[in-house]
Amino acid sequence: MKPVIDHKLCKGCNICVYICPKKCYSKGAELSELGYFDAVVSASEKCYNHNREGKLICELCILSCPDQAISWHPETEEEKKK
Amino acid sequence: MKTPAGEYFLQGNDACVEGAMTAGLRFFAGYPITPSTEIAEGLAHRLRGKDGVFLQMEDEIACISAVIGASWGGAKAMTATSGPGFSLMQEAIGYAAMSETPVVVVNVMRGGPSTGQPTRASQGDVMQTKWGSHGDYQVIAFAPASVQEMFDLTVDCFNYSEKYRVPAFLLSDAEVGHMRGLLKIPEKIKIVDRKEKGMKRTDEAYDVPDDLVHPFPIFGKGHKAMVTGMTHTDTSKIEPEDVKVHQDLVKRLSEKVLRNRKDINKWELMCPGSKTMIVSYGSAALGGKEVAATDSRVGLLRLKSIWPLPEEPIAEIASQCEQILVCEMNLGQLYPSIKRIALEAGCRKIEFLSKIGGEPPTPGEVRHKLRGMGAI
Amino acid sequence: MQIFEFYRKDRWPHVFCPGCGNGTVMNCFYRAFSELDLPLDGTAFVGGIGCSSRIPLYINSDALHTTHGRAIPFATGLKLSKPELKVVVFTGDGDLGAIGGNHFINGCRRNVDMTVICINNNIYGMTGGQASITTPHDFQSTTTPYGNKEYPFDLAEIAVAAGANYVARWTTRHVHELTKSMKSALQKKGFTFVEIVSQCPTNFGRRNKMADPAQMLDWFKASSVKRDKALASAIDHVDLNLAGQITVGEFVDRDRECYEELIGVEKHG
Repeated sequence: MKPVIDHKLCKGCNICVYICPKKCYSKGAELSELGYFDAVVSASEKCYNHNREGKLICELCILSCPDQAISWHPETEEEKKK
Repeated sequence: MKTPAGEYFLQGNDACVEGAMTAGLRFFAGYPITPSTEIAEGLAHRLRGKDGVFLQMEDEIACISAVIGASWGGAKAMTATSGPGFSLMQEAIGYAAMSETPVVVVNVMRGGPSTGQPTRASQGDVMQTKWGSHGDYQVIAFAPASVQEMFDLTVDCFNYSEKYRVPAFLLSDAEVGHMRGLLKIPEKIKIVDRKEKGMKRTDEAYDVPDDLVHPFPIFGKGHKAMVTGMTHTDTSKIEPEDVKVHQDLVKRLSEKVLRNRKDINKWELMCPGSKTMIVSYGSAALGGKEVAATDSRVGLLRLKSIWPLPEEPIAEIASQCEQILVCEMNLGQLYPSIKRIALEAGCRKIEFLSKIGGEPPTPGEVRHKLRGMGAI
Repeated sequence: MQIFEFYRKDRWPHVFCPGCGNGTVMNCFYRAFSELDLPLDGTAFVGGIGCSSRIPLYINSDALHTTHGRAIPFATGLKLSKPELKVVVFTGDGDLGAIGGNHFINGCRRNVDMTVICINNNIYGMTGGQASITTPHDFQSTTTPYGNKEYPFDLAEIAVAAGANYVARWTTRHVHELTKSMKSALQKKGFTFVEIVSQCPTNFGRRNKMADPAQMLDWFKASSVKRDKALASAIDHVDLNLAGQITVGEFVDRDRECYEELIGVEKHG
């Protein structure tokens, strides 16, 4: 599974960038529709849940995100191979 | 458990306990304060196990808050206090009015201001009952003048509070609360419960009902009720910035009570055609009542309702009599309003007998005043 | 439970500031509630006044948004009038510990069955950043422009002393531990109290050199120490100060009889 940021909810606080132990997130440089510099998922292949289904581990980003902007999505075949 | 029908000889405060139990009280939160403590003590005996819950809270603010919370759980809930505690409760009373929560508050009035005269009567909290909390709101209040009325008007407080989703007050005083007398409990008594039919989801607006009262969403029934003291729409959306939402809400809360005055207001009329009418309420009316009963030149309009103020019966007697004597145990709280209504209705002379200090005006004092007015 | 079974979709998204710890606490609570598979319709939520007290209004169940400081007595009346309801209170440091202080200590003492979640952001956030009873000594706020001369309360220790059945404190940096403690609190009978030291970057962090929520989370991590390992002496640990510690962990887990048991309240049908 990979994390995905919902840009209609993200307010660019960058807690995900700070908290992720594997540095999967980075501060973004693009202004979103809401007017924030949203964070971006820069390295989902580093995530503990990369290539993992069923019971997920870590989840610090999802639990920490104040705007419920992060959710888990299934990875494509290509993404799984990274 | 309801009291069986029959005749009893007891104290005013005890009669209030019986009235509350008869009306279906299931939750009481109180704090000791003279001269209301007997109500809490009586209910501490009566509310246990399946009969209901009694709580002595840490202060009066906790009492009124707990009572409002209990009402949202579906229980008929009441608290009892006197002046100093009543002052503490004002914020939450405004909350009950704004959130349209049925609750009953008994205020056994004592000498004020401040700690004042804990064991003596007054009618000093009458204006505070309607104006004590910040903002514009209407309430229902009754003033008993006998042990029987401590029972009857307590039942009325519950019934009207449930019917109109508004806080209702029993404005007793140390005399009526502690006097002993006869209580007759009839076999059948009308009990009113809060409207639950016609409930809508929180995202659906209500059509404006004729009586302006929305159904009450008791918690725990899946209504997903949203209750708040902030300005809100009919769908419970918080909209404090919206001018129209605030206007609609606050005006409806007022109209809800004022429009239904004919149903709510109660009074006693003795010799209405008399040249001189005494207008009074509570124990201040007892002296005048005796005078009116023994002297055909004098009649009495005894207000049992204090809020909303019964303008119609006052105007009616004012249009027919020559002079009015208002008796109150304060320095003039209902007097200015009664005077205004009477003058508008054509009565020329409205005098005032003000007695503070703890004792109701005696028949002798009332006669003395009436002689001074040339009435007798 | 799906996210919009739990939250009210027509009230979404919430109004909390970017980086506010309230959202984090909501996540942990939602996770705890879902994992326990508790019935949402059988749970009522009560809040006082303040940012954290608004959380009940976002949850898809009965919500009572009360007056400032009085959530606990409202919840007491609600719970005892309908004992089969589960009652959860969301409150803040000022709402609970300042104006609500008397109700807080008596609530712990009375031990009515309810769970109180106190989000302690060390400030009065909603009104613009005035000092609270948990603002650390010397810190800046709009009412302490020369530094806070007062010392803070330790809310969790007060709950322990006053008799709550379960007391835990974590910070928003400790999301897994917090979720676990919330589950314990929700399952325990009696007055259960979970304090969460949380970031208010807008009105607290910004005035105290921690405008970035990540800085505040770092501060929490650096200052946190398990209560049983607390280094400070007995008097000093009543002080959530930069130089001091935030003691975290489960403080107490006991089985005093809850008030409903003591008065023999029958559960209604």
